[in-house]
Amino acid sequence: MKVVNLRYVAAAYPLTGRLYEDYSTQADTLLGLIEELDRKYRGFKSMFCDTATGKLRINTMIYYGDKEKVPVAVLDLKQPISEGAKITFW
Amino acid sequence: MKIRQAKEQILLRVDLSSGSIKKEPIPEEWTEMYLGARGINSRLLLKEIKNGIDPYGPENILYIGTGPMDGVPIGMGRLSIATKSPRGCIAEGSSGGFFGPELRRAGYDFIAVEGISEKPVYLLIQDEKVEIKDATHLWGKTTYETDAALRAELKDPNFQFRYIGPAAENLVHSAMLFGNLNQAGGRAGCGEIMGSKKLKALAVRGHGGIKLYDYEGFLDAYKDFRQKLDLETSRDMWTPVWSTFGAPVLSRLFPDMGQLMTRNAQEMSWDYDKATAISSEKYLDSYVTKAKACWCCPWPSCQKLYTIPSGKYQGFKGGNYWAGQPITFGSLIDNGDLDLLLVLSGLCNRYGLDIFHVGYTLGWAMECFEKGILTKADTEGMELGFGRFDQDELINLVRKIAYKEGFGELLSLGCEGAAQRIGKGSEKYCLSVKGMELEAIAERNLLMVGLGIAVSEVGPDHTRWYPPYPCNPSLLSKAELDELGLDIDLKLAFETRNPDKKGELLRWFTISRAIVEALPSCVFLVRDSLGLDLRTWWKLFESATGIQQDYQEFVRAGERIMNLDRIFNVREGYGRKDDRVPYRMSHEDVKGFGYKKIDQDTLDRMLDEYYSANGWSLSTTVPKRSKLSELGMEELAEDLVSKGVEVES
Repeated sequence: MKVVNLRYVAAAYPLTGRLYEDYSTQADTLLGLIEELDRKYRGFKSMFCDTATGKLRINTMIYYGDKEKVPVAVLDLKQPISEGAKITFW
Repeated sequence: MKIRQAKEQILLRVDLSSGSIKKEPIPEEWTEMYLGARGINSRLLLKEIKNGIDPYGPENILYIGTGPMDGVPIGMGRLSIATKSPRGCIAEGSSGGFFGPELRRAGYDFIAVEGISEKPVYLLIQDEKVEIKDATHLWGKTTYETDAALRAELKDPNFQFRYIGPAAENLVHSAMLFGNLNQAGGRAGCGEIMGSKKLKALAVRGHGGIKLYDYEGFLDAYKDFRQKLDLETSRDMWTPVWSTFGAPVLSRLFPDMGQLMTRNAQEMSWDYDKATAISSEKYLDSYVTKAKACWCCPWPSCQKLYTIPSGKYQGFKGGNYWAGQPITFGSLIDNGDLDLLLVLSGLCNRYGLDIFHVGYTLGWAMECFEKGILTKADTEGMELGFGRFDQDELINLVRKIAYKEGFGELLSLGCEGAAQRIGKGSEKYCLSVKGMELEAIAERNLLMVGLGIAVSEVGPDHTRWYPPYPCNPSLLSKAELDELGLDIDLKLAFETRNPDKKGELLRWFTISRAIVEALPSCVFLVRDSLGLDLRTWWKLFESATGIQQDYQEFVRAGERIMNLDRIFNVREGYGRKDDRVPYRMSHEDVKGFGYKKIDQDTLDRMLDEYYSANGWSLSTTVPKRSKLSELGMEELAEDLVSKGVEVES
């Protein structure tokens, strides 16, 4: 289990009902994390992943930063997840 | 009811010294060459304002312009407001609301205000009937009071207004015009010039209409336009965010990325809890009472109205919480109290002040106070540290800026003017370019922003060269780029910290934005590929006006406009030395994020690329004769030579 800091900005906020949370995850990749979050917040995956291609939607954005690193825009959902990572969904 | 063709453009010329009022047609070829609004305003400025005149004198002219697309029902209700700035350079700003469409319905597209009135007046336009009316009873009123007084006086709720507040009457730096209470425009000093002319307001009511040349063709282009703005089909990551939540969402995104100017940009990160406290999400949760859109806007409205729900300032009302306020009245002065932030912002709207002027000048003053350059002897006993101030005193200080009272008089000059007066090295803490304050966008991590604010003719204004957080470079394929004649390596151009290709990309976006503002349309409707691929705008313009020109000729209109603005400035003595970034950005790295300062070598590299791409002299920045000839503006080269300006071949 890893604990990551998740931040929900703009349209992700009404879906989750929270602005941020520390979240324990078993996922190794960003896609795995999104699938976990989809079970908690129905519709989360379709907000960020194109249902046809499974790829990140072009009109959404996810920023990932390892602990103490500057977050950058994620281009690949296979992005590995590390303990203490800061991830912003918008 | 008079129905006019969309391409018809009429100027209403008002001389406040003599009281004369005339109607003049805009030359038809100008609509082809410069489209309208900002484009024709720039042409008028260059033709009618002699170089070297006193900006506050009767020879200066204030232009308010609409364009061929204004008043057609697709969210194009913008205005361009332009004049010679008190700083000597061109002043131009765009504004939304309903005034533009109403002016066109009254039968006019441009207003040129000349001369100076002996007493306060307002201009009353009711279709053919145009009058200069006494405004002595309005002088001194806030924008909100003026709006209410005019509505009571004119009795028709469909009148649209533009007015100034006490700040512009008192010639406070960068004061603006307002309408619909919170719609601001012309921050570069247009309000000051309106105040200097003793013109308190413009009121317009029209009963005519605008006819499209080709309705079916227009509808086709409009469908394409809407698809690019649709929440489902847009390919732009900003579309869903901007359209519903607005730009203050950035306050929660930027602290981690070194993009949030904090404590006068001494730091670029901020406490996350404070950033959350002033975020869009908090604002929408507890403050917003009503969504309000501009004329026929297809987006769910960005200028939401608010009421402070509880606490000390309970009941305070305002509107328009956008990207600037969370920084100017938030992180920049280290304030994490949304109530105070909204009061400061709302008071700026009431007094007619520019939030960027006030926020950045407060930031400068706080840094000076903390460094001992300013003391309580200067601030009339006020504690003025970052996050260390009495809220009521700060609120009162905004009022004092508008009325030039006490310590407020110093800050009314803007940070550069204030620093010039007190010296002591305080110039280093000014976050301004060409005498105008920044507008809350970080430079050192986004080099195109650094270049953009350096070269902008009016001073820092990202709306003149596109949002700095660029659309996805893969929005257009290589084949599409070739089709558009766009020979730019977008992947390289979008590398944020690499100076290469920034000049070329900035040039394109400056052209693109000049076109959008000349139609005119709104900065926030340029999403998806609409800033790179201008064919949708081209088709909208063609079907609305019936003016047929090939795509590249349409694009050249934008290039002409950017050249007009540069020529205006070089005539006034501006040049390469003025295209710079603030001292802090050129001398200090961003702590903790690895972003280096924009040193002179880096800036010079980008400037050279930008000037070369534009066909401008590398040393003087004057457009070359060959470029002006290519654009069909050869006569401007001769005009420059006659004024003693060297024009390279």
